[in-house]
Amino acid sequence: MRSIIGRNLPTYFAALLIILSLNFILPRMMPGDPLMAIYGEEALVAMTPELKAFLLRSFALDKPIWEQFFAYLYQMGRGNLGFSYYHSAPTLEVILGRVPWTILLIGSALILSTTFGILLGIESGWRRGKPLDRSLLSGFMALTGFPDFFLGMVFLLVFGVSLGFFPLSGSLTPYSGLSGLPLLFDMVRHLILPVSALTLGHMAGTYLLTRSAMVTVLREPYILSARAKGLPERVICYRHAGRNSLLPVVTRTGIWLGRIITGTLFIEVIFAYPGLGTLTYEALLARDYAVLQGVLLVVAIVVLLANFSLDLLYARIDPRIQHAH
Amino acid sequence: MRGRSHIHSAISLAILLFFFLPQSIAWAKPLTYTIADTTGDWGYPSPHRRYPRGPGYLRMSFIFDTLTWKNEAGEVIPALAERWEYLGNEKAYVFQLNGNAKWHDGTPFTAEDVAFTVQYIKKYPMAWIDPKIIGKAVTLGPHTVKLVLSERYAPFLINIAGTMPILPRHIWKGVSDPRRFGGEKALVGTGPFRLLDYNKAQGSYLYGANYDYYGGRPKADRIRSIKVAAEMSAAALKQGLVDAGSIPPDLAEDMKRAGFRVIRAPYGWHLKLVMNHRESPLDEKAFRQALAYAIDRKGLVEITQRGHAMVGNPGFVPPDSRWYNPQAKPYELDLDRARRLLRELGYAIRDGKLSRDGIPLKLEILSQPGFKEVGLFLKEQLERLGVRIDLRSLEAKTLDSKVLHWQFKLAISGHGGLYEPSFLKRAILDEEFNSARYRTNQELTRLVMEQQREMDTARRKEIVFRIQELYAEDLPNLPLYYPNWYWAHNERIDIFYTRNGVAIGIPLPLNKLVFIGKEK
Repeated sequence: MRSIIGRNLPTYFAALLIILSLNFILPRMMPGDPLMAIYGEEALVAMTPELKAFLLRSFALDKPIWEQFFAYLYQMGRGNLGFSYYHSAPTLEVILGRVPWTILLIGSALILSTTFGILLGIESGWRRGKPLDRSLLSGFMALTGFPDFFLGMVFLLVFGVSLGFFPLSGSLTPYSGLSGLPLLFDMVRHLILPVSALTLGHMAGTYLLTRSAMVTVLREPYILSARAKGLPERVICYRHAGRNSLLPVVTRTGIWLGRIITGTLFIEVIFAYPGLGTLTYEALLARDYAVLQGVLLVVAIVVLLANFSLDLLYARIDPRIQHAH
Repeated sequence: MRGRSHIHSAISLAILLFFFLPQSIAWAKPLTYTIADTTGDWGYPSPHRRYPRGPGYLRMSFIFDTLTWKNEAGEVIPALAERWEYLGNEKAYVFQLNGNAKWHDGTPFTAEDVAFTVQYIKKYPMAWIDPKIIGKAVTLGPHTVKLVLSERYAPFLINIAGTMPILPRHIWKGVSDPRRFGGEKALVGTGPFRLLDYNKAQGSYLYGANYDYYGGRPKADRIRSIKVAAEMSAAALKQGLVDAGSIPPDLAEDMKRAGFRVIRAPYGWHLKLVMNHRESPLDEKAFRQALAYAIDRKGLVEITQRGHAMVGNPGFVPPDSRWYNPQAKPYELDLDRARRLLRELGYAIRDGKLSRDGIPLKLEILSQPGFKEVGLFLKEQLERLGVRIDLRSLEAKTLDSKVLHWQFKLAISGHGGLYEPSFLKRAILDEEFNSARYRTNQELTRLVMEQQREMDTARRKEIVFRIQELYAEDLPNLPLYYPNWYWAHNERIDIFYTRNGVAIGIPLPLNKLVFIGKEK
């Protein structure tokens, strides 16, 4: 495990440095005053000369570019992502207020899409060519053509607007007076449509990959040995074939995590879900660059961390990885 | 006999109770009014922490009052000040304050609070209020205050007295960081509502009525403002989840058919064709006029806005404003006249293309993603005139920056705040990207400055009328259209747009008078 960490850490560190550099360079490449590019137009309304001088000093905006870069890294290291004049609050505080809702949305979608994708992929691969496999395969093939936000819009129009089964927006009913279990149910009701859209949008990929891995694994000699040993079908299907089909799925989940996060941004806007996606959209409309850069940085770091965790998980699932190279 | 009359009385009482009690219970049921908002969060509704946008101001205005306010017709009416007088020789306003007004914590409101607010804003600036306009505030009695202006300022009663929220001295005197000041005390105002809850992440606000409000008992016991996606407001209204909300123009007729009342905002925002009048060929007035004659603005509204807009007035002021001058040059579509003007400038037309001294006339239009169709329409119109057009779409900020630094020929851009004529100075003379920055015509420059200082409304109107004529003649920019903005509501409360916008000019139908039984 240590060798894996040692081997991968420099790569992740380099990626982080590149992300930080991009985040540093982009606002400075924008036309006009860099202070305005970093803090947005609102800064001009609210900023006093003293505050302007302080901000110029703290981000060394009056210094050469390399000094600015080190000042920027120092501020990032201290967790200072800047100040949003639109929100009248530190950027990190604004972002952290929205993170739990996005985690809830992504977490639920990721767990559901991965679990069901794997289970259906294993079952489908196991019954290759049978009616269940054929219907699942054609169903999911069709589903891959639809982006998650399109599914979200369809679900919202059908189940929210036309049928009125689910709420139209938000993550809970404001001022409903609910608490405890009813509040939990209310939150789940608000979660069902966005999570379903995200889950269906991403389940197809997991399913197709698991199924194809399963089909390959079932041809392996050790499956024949397992059968020869007289092991029960379920044990061969899940413990021998299924587990070995997981490796490409884990890799894919890591790669797709970034895509799920970007997909969530659209889904949140469609359902007015109060997470990072809606925050990004609002920041775009209000030209709140401090928040935009903050969100980009936080999302990039989360994706890096998730990929790193998956690297570790990968090594656990397949011990051969630890001895590679 | 007495026993029978008792029985009769009991039966009559029972019948009365049966018929009237349920209704009386219904009357007693608090009225909660729900507003759908597409953004949701507009900041903590204190004067310094609200977001510096219209909806943020309105959410604060439910709690904090100003000296004056506007009614539905846009007239200045009393709020914390019962009456006022302008002392021309002193350049000062004397306000007689409402002796019945109280802060939410029960403390009486006095002239000291007004004087304190002026001092406080000078030290800790508040968005939209220019503290330099007030020279000083002098208390002349417990309920009399004199505000001395540093210079004559015509829109004082609207832009300052009608926009500056008055702070309670007994609370704010110890506050040195208003941008971080929160909690119950930070939201003690004199307004008709108190904040019961604010949820930043959910973008929701809950207000409760202040039944001791000096301006009348609030009609709504509670106001909820909740976040609803823009595309869903109409569905939320139909499902009875909200009472009012903005709707896309294309849904206006559908909502009317569904039994909702649809109201249109007075025109206060415009899209314009920005012209670089500092560079050839747009530095020639006749050239700019030729372009205006060549653009079918009515067609532009019909095609790109599906009719949901008012054709731009070349004189700038929206046609539904009481300051609008219908005599300003209208620039109806006239391609022959446009070509004649260009020929007089030395342009020749060959194969339908314009050129001067053998150099083909070529112009670039900078557009923004939101106005793609407008850009295409203008390209087609100007190419019909014979101008070769390069249409380039830029992100809004990049476009603004290019306009600010005069790195453009033509650009499509827009801005609001077209209600109070003080916008003319901001939009014609001031050095910002939204301004034409046009000082070539000395009479126009002088009049724009003068209207700002003219305290006599009739005389000011004459000046504003003349400005429109001059603006339309010189045409530094060409207003293209004023878009229609709609709200729909279920008539539980008769909400209205304020002519000339709420306070400084906010084009939303959430004037707090809507929720109290005060003059409409």
